[in-house]
Amino acid sequence: MRESMSIWFFAGVLFLAYGIIITAEGLWELAHPPAHPPVLFNLHPAIWWGAMMAVAGLAYTIRFWPRVRR
Amino acid sequence: MPFEFANKLICHPPALSLFLEGKSLAHLNGVDILVIAVYFAIVIFIGFYLKGSTNTSEEFFMAGREMTAWIAGLSFVSANLGSLELMGWAGSAYQYGILATHWYWIGAIPAMLFLGIVMMPFYYISKTHSVPGYLHLRYGDGARALSAVSFAFMTVLMSGINMYSMAIVMKVVLGWNLNFSIWVSSITVALYVALGGLRSAIFNEVLQFLLIWLGALLVPILGLIEVGGWTNLRQQILTNLGRSDYVHMWSTLGHFHDNPMGVHWTGIVFGLGLVISFGYWTTDFLVVQRVLSAHNLRAARMAPIIGAGFKMAVPFIVILPGLLALSVLPFHLVGETQAVATGQHSYNEVLPLMLVRYCSPGLLGLGVTALIAGFMSGMAGNVSAFSTVWTYDIYGAFFNKKATDKHYVAMGRWCTFVGVLISVGTAYLVQHAASIMDYVQALFSFFIAPLFGTVILGMLWKRATKAGGFWGLLAGTGTAVGLWAWVHYDPSALRYVALSADAKAMAEDMYRALWSWMVCVIVTVVVSYMTQPKPVAELEGLVYGASRIPEERDEHWYQRPIVWAGVIAVLFVILNIIFW
Repeated sequence: MRESMSIWFFAGVLFLAYGIIITAEGLWELAHPPAHPPVLFNLHPAIWWGAMMAVAGLAYTIRFWPRVRR
Repeated sequence: MPFEFANKLICHPPALSLFLEGKSLAHLNGVDILVIAVYFAIVIFIGFYLKGSTNTSEEFFMAGREMTAWIAGLSFVSANLGSLELMGWAGSAYQYGILATHWYWIGAIPAMLFLGIVMMPFYYISKTHSVPGYLHLRYGDGARALSAVSFAFMTVLMSGINMYSMAIVMKVVLGWNLNFSIWVSSITVALYVALGGLRSAIFNEVLQFLLIWLGALLVPILGLIEVGGWTNLRQQILTNLGRSDYVHMWSTLGHFHDNPMGVHWTGIVFGLGLVISFGYWTTDFLVVQRVLSAHNLRAARMAPIIGAGFKMAVPFIVILPGLLALSVLPFHLVGETQAVATGQHSYNEVLPLMLVRYCSPGLLGLGVTALIAGFMSGMAGNVSAFSTVWTYDIYGAFFNKKATDKHYVAMGRWCTFVGVLISVGTAYLVQHAASIMDYVQALFSFFIAPLFGTVILGMLWKRATKAGGFWGLLAGTGTAVGLWAWVHYDPSALRYVALSADAKAMAEDMYRALWSWMVCVIVTVVVSYMTQPKPVAELEGLVYGASRIPEERDEHWYQRPIVWAGVIAVLFVILNIIFW
């Protein structure tokens, strides 16, 4: 029997998923730059923003993973 | 210089070419769709996951009163952070400049702190399930019925406004059909709220709050990098507009025609800061319901204080993008009516325009998800509050007093769907309103301002009577509607209602709220002195001076709510001085 899922666990999973998706897209764009990039594309916000989300999401997912009740 | 950036936009991103062809701003690619799909999947999953823990009315309508201060606090501020907040105030910042920040600072912070420190103990120890429920305990059924019906009416209208805002986002950014956006999003909200009740709404609101920040925060960060910082932004706005009143919060409020909003400082301080703000943040059940779900009195007092801290930061993601747009967008935005007539973009579209400017695939999906999340949090807040007030304060109080707990839970679930359907109908009505923001402000002054007068007198004045509460509330609401109708049919009456013929719509709303509140208070006091008060013993737990507030034993001084309220208050003063 596990304890119920915390709201922070849901937040962690969502951030982790988004972080992975956005970082991967950012890396893809690094290798294949778009024909019409948005303003300040040279800063590659997708990579650092996505990586920050992934790290925060991973930390929250682990910290609030539903534990087995004794 | 802004024109250099304008050229950059014209030369590179696909956004402007699409704009010029009159099509949508952007097309989402597979990654963006995936980001949005993940969001929809998780909110619906939460609804199904929590269905099993919402079997009693206390669980369905009050989330079992188990929320921590942080969850209740984030939910408290998130329920207010609908798409109307995001898009409407970003648009207002473009239209009126930094003056729009007043609605986040003086128009919220003092009232939120007052709720936490002064009012929350009475709401909490009375064990009421709603604001109309408190009025029932304090004033009887008349005031309860009046406030419950007006609240239900206002709530579904607000929900409809949220829906309309959302549909506009989808239309502008993605070219999606209005009907498609309205129905897909509203069915999702109805599903997760009907399944998991307030607990599900709160869980999703916390997620949505975090998402809104993640999705919207990149715009001001990248925007400030583009313009070269806040000092450069101020300079560019001065250069572009040739006037300084867009970047000052207080120094231009000496006269109605000295600022773009056409408002006087008395209207901001007394109309907005005292009446509208206190009315909304302390008596609107949409937000108060989140705090009532706290697991103890200390959490209930801390929740609005935590919410105030986050609320104070919201202008960074809402007002700043509007100001940045004044500097970097190569074209002018116009009012809603002109936008419809000419095909230009309206003020309300400023946030999506800025998102498209800076966000590549993935990030764009995240930004769009943030807007969808804002819409859903606002709508879920309205729907769950409507469901509670209908079930407890209208249906359970006047139509079916002796039903079983299970029956009321079923009524709450069905009522959620009905509320959503009414909201959908309202969304179609709102399409014909000239300005979303003015419409909402008018509604606030009809119902919220007089309600604040009734509640605050009920909490702080033992002499207020049942008849006084009812007639005061009725007279205040009637005054607000009457003043609105007067100006509507005779615009020259503005000089009396708003104290100046130069006043604009928002100033009129603020003064109308102030007058209706004053009428409510005066009538309540006069009628109370003419009628018999309740014995003090019957006011236990409801009124200051007749109630024993449970002592809170904090281990350390820094755990006390009053300390944190003080910190927020000092920051509030400092920020107002900085942007004076």
